[in-house]
This record gives sequence, C-alpha cells and structure tokens, in this order.
Amino acid sequence: MSLAASLRYYWNVQLVGRAYLRWQRWQAERHPRVPRKWRTDILAPPLRIGARTKELIAMHYLEGRYVNGHRPVAWVTSGGPVEILQALGFYVLYPENHGALCGTRRVVVDLSTEAENAGYSRDICSYARTDIGAMLSGKTPVGKLPKPDLLLACTNICQTVLFWYRVLAHHFDVPLVLIDTPFVYTDAPEHAVEYVKRQLEDSIPVAERVAGRRLNYRKLKEVVKLSKDASELWLEIMGRGKHHPAPISVFDQFIHMAPIVEMRGKKVTVDFYAAMLKEVDERIAKGIGAVKNERKRLLWDNLPIWYRLRYLSEYLGEHGVAVVASTYTNAWGELAPLIDPERPIESMARTYIYPILNRGTGYKLETMKQMIEDFQLDGVILHSDRSCKPYSIGQVDQRNLLIREYGIPALLLEADHDDPRAFAEEQVASRLAAFVEMLYDGAE
Amino acid sequence: MLSIPRRTETCREFKEAGGLVAAVLPIHYPRGLLRAFHILPVEVWGPPKVDVSYGGAHLQPYICSIVHNALSFLKTGGLDETDIILVPHACDSLQGLGSILIDFVKPRQPVFPIYLPRGQRPEDVDFLAREFHALYDDLARITGWRPTDEEMLDAIRREEAADRVLAELYHHRRRLALNNRDFYRLVRSREFLPAETFIALAQEALARATAEPRRDGIPVLLSGIVPEPMDVLDAIQEADGVVVADDLACCGRRLYPEGRSEDPFRRMAERIVYGPPDVTRGTPIRERAEHLIELARKTGARGIIFYDVKFCEPELFDLPNLRNHLKEAGLPSVTIEVDIGDPLPHQTITRITAFLEVIE
Repeated sequence: MSLAASLRYYWNVQLVGRAYLRWQRWQAERHPRVPRKWRTDILAPPLRIGARTKELIAMHYLEGRYVNGHRPVAWVTSGGPVEILQALGFYVLYPENHGALCGTRRVVVDLSTEAENAGYSRDICSYARTDIGAMLSGKTPVGKLPKPDLLLACTNICQTVLFWYRVLAHHFDVPLVLIDTPFVYTDAPEHAVEYVKRQLEDSIPVAERVAGRRLNYRKLKEVVKLSKDASELWLEIMGRGKHHPAPISVFDQFIHMAPIVEMRGKKVTVDFYAAMLKEVDERIAKGIGAVKNERKRLLWDNLPIWYRLRYLSEYLGEHGVAVVASTYTNAWGELAPLIDPERPIESMARTYIYPILNRGTGYKLETMKQMIEDFQLDGVILHSDRSCKPYSIGQVDQRNLLIREYGIPALLLEADHDDPRAFAEEQVASRLAAFVEMLYDGAE
Repeated sequence: MLSIPRRTETCREFKEAGGLVAAVLPIHYPRGLLRAFHILPVEVWGPPKVDVSYGGAHLQPYICSIVHNALSFLKTGGLDETDIILVPHACDSLQGLGSILIDFVKPRQPVFPIYLPRGQRPEDVDFLAREFHALYDDLARITGWRPTDEEMLDAIRREEAADRVLAELYHHRRRLALNNRDFYRLVRSREFLPAETFIALAQEALARATAEPRRDGIPVLLSGIVPEPMDVLDAIQEADGVVVADDLACCGRRLYPEGRSEDPFRRMAERIVYGPPDVTRGTPIRERAEHLIELARKTGARGIIFYDVKFCEPELFDLPNLRNHLKEAGLPSVTIEVDIGDPLPHQTITRITAFLEVIE
C-alpha cells in the first residue's frame, strides 16, 4: 500500500467525492423530482430512497476508482462469502453487479463486442462477456474499475463463475480462491457442509496474506452480524409485497438490491435498508401501491432483464398488473435466519450452500408455490434466461406444473439478462399481451 | 480389424450373468465402485441420431446437444435396459439434467447424482471420497450387497489395469494398424465394455502394432468433449490428417493416474482429482495450455483442432487464452462448433481440410 495512493484516495473519495455525493443526495431529497418520462398515471412515484441508492452505488464505484494502492481489492461472485474479506478490510467488487449496471446503462453490446472480438463466444454468460470486455478494453460506465489483488469465486450461483474467474485469474495473475459449494439436489449432506466450511477456513490465510494483516475474529462476528441484519431487513422489505396493493414492485427491488449484493457486512447497508423499510411502511400506511390500479399480482422468476426494466414495468402497470415478488431478489434474504454471528464460519458454510440457485429444480418449484400462496399471486413470469442455464433449466417443467397441477397461469419469456440482442421486442410484446389477456380471462 | 462387441450385446450378456447396468452421464465417475457391485457402467455421451424433440419438451434450445440428446434418448426408451442412472456433476447443464430427472422426469430407474469438486486440494479428495461413500450406501440399499474393502480394491485395480492399457494405446498410437475412426472406436469402447474385455481387445490391437511408427498423415491433436458425430474422424483422415493425441473429455482427459491410497474410496477420489487437466475440474488455463503444448511436443502434433459442442460454456471460456498460448508456442489451431445430433456440415469438412493444408 502506498502513501501517495492513500492521500489520493482520501482527497478524491473521502473529502471531495463523499461531500459532493452527499450534497447531490440532499438536493434530490429536498426537491424530489419525478423523472420526466415516468408514467405517474400508472405507477407510484419512484421511492425517495432512490437518492440514497444512487449515492451508495456512486460512492462504491468512486472508491473503486481510487482504491488500488490504498486498500486490498477483491473481486467476488455475487453469492460469495464476503464477510471474511470485509473483516480483513478488502474493497470488494462484484463483477456481476457491474455487468447489471452496464445492462441498465445499455452499454453491454459495446463491451460484449470487445470480448467477442477477442474470441469469446456469444454463447457464454452475458455478464461474463460484459466484464471481460470491460477488463480487456478498460471501458466502463463507472469510470474505472480497480485491479483485483484477490479473486473469490463461489460456485453457489453457477459453475460459470468458476470458468469466468479462471479467465480473470489468468489475465490479472492474482490468486483465485475457490469456494466450491456442492449442488443441493434434495438436502445438503453433512460432508458437503463440512467441505464448504473447510474451504472457508483455508481461504483465510490466503486472504490474510494478500491483505497483509491477520483476521480479527471479533471483527468477523461484527461483520457477520451486519450481514444478517441487512439480509433480515431486505427480507422484511420484500415481505411487505404481501400487502394489497403492494407498496413496491420487483422492479423497485431490482434497483434497490445492489447494496445487499455488494455491500453486505457494512453498517451503511443496514441503515440503508432500515430507511427503505420505513419508507415502504409509510407507503402502506398511505395505501400507496407501486402500481396505481393493482388488479393482478405476479411472481417473477430468474434474473431481471436489466435493459428493459422500465418497459416491462410500464407495460404490465398499464394493465393493472403488479409484479410483487421474485425468486431472485428473495435469494438475498431467505437465508438470513441461517446466519449465526456467534458461529461465523460454520453458519456461513451452511448459509452459502443453500441459495436457491444451488438447489434442485423441485425446490425452486416449491418456493414458487409458497410465494404464490404467501403473496396471493395470480400468475408467474418465468424469464428463460439464455445466459443463466442453472436458473433456467427446469423452467419448462415448472411452468407446465404450475399451469396443469396448480392452475396458475405461467409464462415462459425468452430473453437474456444483459444482452439486448437476445430480446425480441415484438415477440415479447405479443407474448405478454396474450398472457395479460389470459390473466383477466382467468383461463389458461 | 478388431471385432468390438456391440453396446446392447454387452449389456445383455452382463445382465444375463446376474449383473446390473448403469447409464452414466459425462464425465468422471468411479467405475471401480460400480463394478464392485456387479454393475456395468455404460456411458451416455448424447448419443447422436435421436429424436431431440423429446428433450426439447423439458429443455430450452440453448442447452447443449449432449444434454438434449441424453434426455431424448432416455425418453425414447434408449435406456430401458439400464437399472440405474448416474449423473456426475460436470457443468450447469448436466447438473440441471440430474435435477429435472429427479424432480420432474422421474424415470423408472433410480437416479444418483454425484458432485465432483472443482479443485485439486486435499479437501477436494476428502470430499469426493465421502461422496463416493454416499454412493456406495445408495448402491448397497438397492442391491442389498455390501462389497468389502478388498472386493472394492480388486475392482479398482482392474479398472486401473484397463486404464494402463488405454494409456499404452495412446503411447503407441502411431504404431497401431488403426485409422482415426477405428482407434477411437477402440478407445471409446471403454465407455461400455467391462475392464477385462477392454484389456483383451486393447492388447490384441497392441500385439498387431508395427515395429516402427508410421510417418504418414499430418499429425494433429484433437481437443473438446466428444468426437461426435464420428464422421469428423473420417474427415480428418480424408484430409490426410492423423489424430496423434487428444484432450477430449471422453478420452484423453480420463487417462487417470494410479491411485495411491489403500482406502478404496480415497483411491478412486485421488485418481479423479489428480487426473489430467480438465476445465470441468477447474484446472487453471495456463496449466491446460502447457499440457496441450507438451502433448503436441511429445506426439509431434503440428496443430490443434478444438472440436466443441455448441453452448458448452466450460470449453468456450478457455478457448481465447488457450489459442493465444498455443500461437505463442508456434502451434496453429482451429475451432469448430458442432451439434452432436446434426450430420457433419460440409463447411466443417472444408475448414478441417483447409486447416490441415495450412499446417502441412
């Protein structure tokens, strides 16, 4: 770590950047403005917390811009056990989140083309293509990404991350820590949990070496506690979708989930979600629904279509359809009860093996059924995501069973979470139209 | 010309002798464990030439043809003679297949998944050994038979002997009187023949080996998952190429080293975990590149054909870096993507021919 880098970091991030972003947030909070194109006739105004989300995300990437040389940097998969790294003082970057951000900013085709020109196939995950493109070209909508000192890939979301992170390890020539989480077809056997625990333990000396300091277990417990608190708040926020009308939609959740994914284990994240919960409760008290004329309620399965969030939200909103729950956003909250700050490593092993993406197709169907019941839903949109095979395999059967055995209308929507080239606008529009019509007919 | 028994006859004979047959999906699994239970593993790499619409009723079109075809094969009765289905975890798509078999398709046969660790660390060996132990318990439950450690080790050593002979076939590849297709028919008969039958066949081929290695044909190395449709091997032959080595998941990536442990479960786990470089087991890219370069150096291969199944993410991620390393080492390469259910397109044949002309 260098003094010059630290001075640069403090000046640009902690003094100038922080003050500027805070001022920007205050301005936005004092004079809340609804974006010009926002459909206030069908949707509730954006959540006020949005100004804070923007500040948090901007601050996170601003830190990333100046962090090299000041703090160690780790790139981590979105389901990765980040608490050990947070406790060791790492700046943590999630390439998938960066990929999602590129999706919302509509720069994926440009970045992906950089990767494709270097020989990467369009058949690999679009997050990976986007980030590899950013890595090779240096282009990014956030200005600059920090170089990693350590990579951590946890296979609990897919095996793709292992293949992807091997590419990163090869490019940056830095250690790659693998936390391999055996897939849970039915229940995780004890030897699988033990295996994950052992890998977590083994990752500590590697991370310590890179960080140049020893792990303080008291600090780790604090971080794990903060992770649990934030996850519980997130779970509560999503649970508020059970109200009629639902105060927030999954499109709101998609936008505001960034902190729970990339800032777990921080006090600022807990404060953020506490404030968000308060605002959501205010909406409930005032009877405000995310969709003004909520008549039908849906479940969203799989990743968002990042580059068409507004289109989908408006199209469905126009028809009085609110998408109020999602198996995807639920994944960052449902495991909160498993986290035990007093037994950090052991409980992390159990928590990180059980995300929905690491579980069988039958479990996912059961989760959907439970959510349909809990949230009193009228149908399901299953996003068949070309770039996410583990989430998508099984959806054909899940859809069929939802319709045939449980009488729940369900639509399989073909797209890609990040690459708009796999999104057939007209086809999606006609399928959505037919689905909405079916919802109101109450027939299949 | 070697007379290789047919898959169906082999299964029938094995069952008539009182054994069971397990359909095994790619890639790595404990052959010795199955054989200790008198179960014959018969591998399912697709296969090509099935009506894929049956798989399409459960899977999206962006799932690879190996998985599509395997499910279609099962649904059209191709696995009716088998008693067990074993699904080793190799990638997200095979993981998904295992999961929908258990949860939705529910075939007549019991389905057992096994998870293969992605590292080469001591904990990976320990975990895999315990995973095999769990499989042992499952097999004991359905067969009512609990082989002793000694019986297990006997079966494992028999498999190791077969793998030694397999390695010899590769070692003497250019002295064998076998063309590309016949060589791979023999090598791939290991996918369904009992070890003892395979050893006898392989030794017969080795006995017919010429004293001096043949110098005909342009030597190439084949990398990928599986050489299907096998017409690709004829296409290489017709373009005057000879496959002198491979890095195929169904062949060269399973030239496992001898086990060391006297504990049968650990021994099987060690063999797989410390096997040749393989992307699905998480081998670093540089190590894979060095392995390919070394393989080419040893066998005199002048170029590498990456013959990959469309949508195979594990392979696709490595290709750009692997090809760069090979280029730096002076080894030209070409990539070809196929759907194993389709006939070999003429375009592919033209590319192979052009590539071989270039490296000649």
